[in-house]
Amino acid sequence: MISLIKKLINPGLFLVGLAAVPSMSLAMDATEIVQRSLDATYYAGTDMRTKVTMQLVNPKGDIREREMTMLRLNGVDGEQRYYTYFHRPTDVKGTAFLVQKFTGKEDDRWIFVPAIKLVKRIASDDKRSSFVGSDFTYEDVSGREVADETHALIGEETFEGRPVYRIESKPVKPIDYSRRVSLIDKERWLPLSEEYFDLRNRPSRVFSAVKVESIADIWTITARTMKNLQTGYRTDVTYQDINYNSGLEADIFTERYLRNPPQQWVK
Amino acid sequence: MRKHTLVEFATHHPRWVAAITLIITALFCTQFPRITLDTNPKNMLPPDSAVRVWNDEIEQTFRLYEDTIVVAVHNDEGVLNLKTLGKIHQVTEQILAIEGVAARDLVSFNTIDHISADSEGLDVAPLMSEAPTTTAALETLRAKLIGNPLFTDRIISEDETMAALYVPLEEGANGKQVADNIRAIIAAQESGDDFYVAGDPVVRDTFGADMFTMMGLFAPIAGMIMFIAILWMFSSLPLAMSMMAVAMVSILCSMGLLIGLGFPVHIMSSMAPVFLMAIATDSIHIFNEFYHRYRSGGNKQQAIHETLDAVSRPVRYTAFATAAGFAVLLFMEIIPVQVFGGVIVFGTLLLRLLSFTLIPALLMMMDEKKILAAVARENSKEQASTHWLIRLAGIGVNHPKKIIAIGAVLMGISVIGITQININNNLVEWFTKSSEVRIADEKINQSLGGTASGYIVAIAPQAEGIKTPEAMQYLDGLQRHLESLPEVGKTFSIVDYVKRINRVLHEDNADFYVIPSDADTIAQYLFLFGMSAKQSDLDNVVDYPFQQANIWLQLKTWDAEAMRTVIRAVEDYQQQNPIDLEFKPAGTAYFNVVWNDEVLWDMLKGFILALLVVFILLAFNFRSIRWALIGYIPLLFTIMMIYAVIGFTGKDFDMPISVLSCLSLGMAVDFSIHFISRLRQRMDETATTGETLADNLLWTAARPGKGIMRNAILFAAAFSVMMFAPLTPYITVGAFILSMMLVSALTTLIYLPALILLFQRWLFVKKALPDTRSSASAVTSIGEGA
Repeated sequence: MISLIKKLINPGLFLVGLAAVPSMSLAMDATEIVQRSLDATYYAGTDMRTKVTMQLVNPKGDIREREMTMLRLNGVDGEQRYYTYFHRPTDVKGTAFLVQKFTGKEDDRWIFVPAIKLVKRIASDDKRSSFVGSDFTYEDVSGREVADETHALIGEETFEGRPVYRIESKPVKPIDYSRRVSLIDKERWLPLSEEYFDLRNRPSRVFSAVKVESIADIWTITARTMKNLQTGYRTDVTYQDINYNSGLEADIFTERYLRNPPQQWVK
Repeated sequence: MRKHTLVEFATHHPRWVAAITLIITALFCTQFPRITLDTNPKNMLPPDSAVRVWNDEIEQTFRLYEDTIVVAVHNDEGVLNLKTLGKIHQVTEQILAIEGVAARDLVSFNTIDHISADSEGLDVAPLMSEAPTTTAALETLRAKLIGNPLFTDRIISEDETMAALYVPLEEGANGKQVADNIRAIIAAQESGDDFYVAGDPVVRDTFGADMFTMMGLFAPIAGMIMFIAILWMFSSLPLAMSMMAVAMVSILCSMGLLIGLGFPVHIMSSMAPVFLMAIATDSIHIFNEFYHRYRSGGNKQQAIHETLDAVSRPVRYTAFATAAGFAVLLFMEIIPVQVFGGVIVFGTLLLRLLSFTLIPALLMMMDEKKILAAVARENSKEQASTHWLIRLAGIGVNHPKKIIAIGAVLMGISVIGITQININNNLVEWFTKSSEVRIADEKINQSLGGTASGYIVAIAPQAEGIKTPEAMQYLDGLQRHLESLPEVGKTFSIVDYVKRINRVLHEDNADFYVIPSDADTIAQYLFLFGMSAKQSDLDNVVDYPFQQANIWLQLKTWDAEAMRTVIRAVEDYQQQNPIDLEFKPAGTAYFNVVWNDEVLWDMLKGFILALLVVFILLAFNFRSIRWALIGYIPLLFTIMMIYAVIGFTGKDFDMPISVLSCLSLGMAVDFSIHFISRLRQRMDETATTGETLADNLLWTAARPGKGIMRNAILFAAAFSVMMFAPLTPYITVGAFILSMMLVSALTTLIYLPALILLFQRWLFVKKALPDTRSSASAVTSIGEGA
């Protein structure tokens, strides 16, 4: 099914992406590959709006669901703003979450708790902490910086019918994983699989791009899953109603809109 | 007489018998390398028992670890100083890297989530990601720690003298290796602070090591002591060696069988060698009798046949009685007890088989001159000891009524003692007071909430039911109610998080340390918390659908009674404040409660069964219910006395003792069997010579009585070694058996003659008939079935 979708997609579109990088050489540098992958995964378009459904599954098979609208606006120098509005679970409906992402500096995060009409800044000294209780970290959702890790190209192969680079990345500063092996699509630049290893070098988490689609000519992972190999927990995420470049305004990403969600975008 | 042909075969082909025994023993020995130990108390009950299935489910629902090692740091001056905190930080970092440690869920200053807020924002972050280096940083840390109910009594004691780390272990991790690694890390620290390593895995490993010591060191020492005692009694090295050979064959084969069948060695079965060694001493009656028969030399083969003719009946029946006492254990619910019973039954029956094969064979192979020399030495000692035994029996024979009156009074007092018995299994108290495990446990209990842990799980009728303000308030009230119990050190639940968040979101105003009255607020707090905290923080206290909440209990003691009190308190609270929530206990403390009840029920069941079986055996052996009743009394007397002592001294009636109650019946009855059987044989032999009953009683006390006394002393000697063992169950068992043997030997020699004299009319109804034995059976209609 996935490969079928992938086959149906015209590989010629790849050239559109290439045009942006004039000094492209055949033997690509690992860091460059990772940079392009980060760009394709987290910076596609100038802005993005999507409905996100998240299912947290525990080893018993119990499920916790989260449904949210996510808005993203790219700024200059890799800066980004994220606005997340929660629809479900129903008792948290109205909870909204704002992230201002900077390069080389900690993100700013704010949350609005509707029941007590309170906006609070959330300290964000740990990007590796869980995103809304899921197996994804904040970093997994909003991206990391290429310089946070050192990268090495350790192979080129075919993965589920797609040509991929096999890249090994190691964090520069000690963190909760010792290395990460990603398979990056050579043409679409999206990571199709990422395996994290813990400090004792045992596999700890696995990311898989379950479904990749072209949305308005932009390759997008529309279904993904993150499995914790050590606890048996899993999180499945799907993106629906994706719109790129719909002209989101910067003032949406402010405290005022945390309290009063922008109805036009959040439905 | 099937046994007789066996004996004849053995005396005709002694070398064959010895060789075959050796080969069979060697075969059983090949199983030894496969030995495994099981020191996990939860294996006392089968994996499919309701309590284990439930506990497994709870562990999965709340993401709990089966095994957690507790590391405590103690400093009288307080642990909140730069140096100690630096150590805590460093030790934690190093422990996180140990193989087998579930690093993501380790709880320490470094890793525990601290929820705080200021005018700027909310912060959920590790309490101490870096060790403080300035006094200002130290004060900031102290401010965070002190007064935060999420931390007090859990990771820091109220008086600041103790800090704790909780190190969860991955499934299948080697607890001993992790603990050893932790100890090495601690040992490398500068002095100034005391570190303690505690927790279930440590307890179990210490236990395992002690069990090996028990088997590898104490069983051989017990053997040596018996060997020396036999040597002293019989003054013959070959005799002493053949008796030890019989014991060794039985022990090696029984343990080989246990291991070969794939059973792990458990606390009870680790005692099996000492038990078998003691049971083997029953063959002393054979040697005792042989000495008398062979006194004047002559045909050795015939002397052996005569000896075994004389003792075969009591020896066989005592073996059956012992085996029956242990066989009762096979019907118990507690697996290691079943296995232990099986091993001893096998070993005892094997011992009896050896009595009629290997012992005659060894006697045949012995140098006649050496035996005669030994017999001569024995004869010279004989006068003194015989005289002593006759005097002992004389007390009962000469003052039967007084003795019986004294006995009745003692029994009355015993009944009072027995009512004082306290049934309890406290695993930590199985270690001696000076052991590392006990000391660590005591220290941690003094300062922190307690090392014993249990859970109370609240179950709502439908999903989301836990998030309602009513349920939350109820849990809060219940927790406060439980914390008012002296047994409970600390409780902890989802409520504590909700209250904490409410407070920090309201400028850390203590007035807001309450549960919000609105369901959405609670839900949003929890959501907020779940957004920033570690996943396990929430998972540990509430299930995925918010239908079950887990209240953590830290108890001050592992006594089962503590958890029972908690369960009763929950029921009381529920009765006074009805609500649509179900409460179920879980965790290790709850397991102990279930297991304790199981032990009690098993003990009762087993005891009654053993009483019945032993009585039937006695009746069959004596062909008389009356004689069986009389033979029963010394036995009951002994057991009641010992239980009374347990009751009066306040010693816990635990699993080892409850197991012993059945065994002791099977073992103590031996003396009655020997005494009464031989007395009645003697009565038959002297029926025409006109000796009085009193004369015959005194003869019995002197001749087979000597065997009884020797048997008791050997038994006591073997088990006295266990009183120096590192684990209290062994000490208990040692003291119990030692006193049981001595008391029952004394009652058999003093009390039994008095009883027989007093009830002689009733016992020898048709004394006029030449054959007392058949006359007795005629009276009681038991029949000649055996």
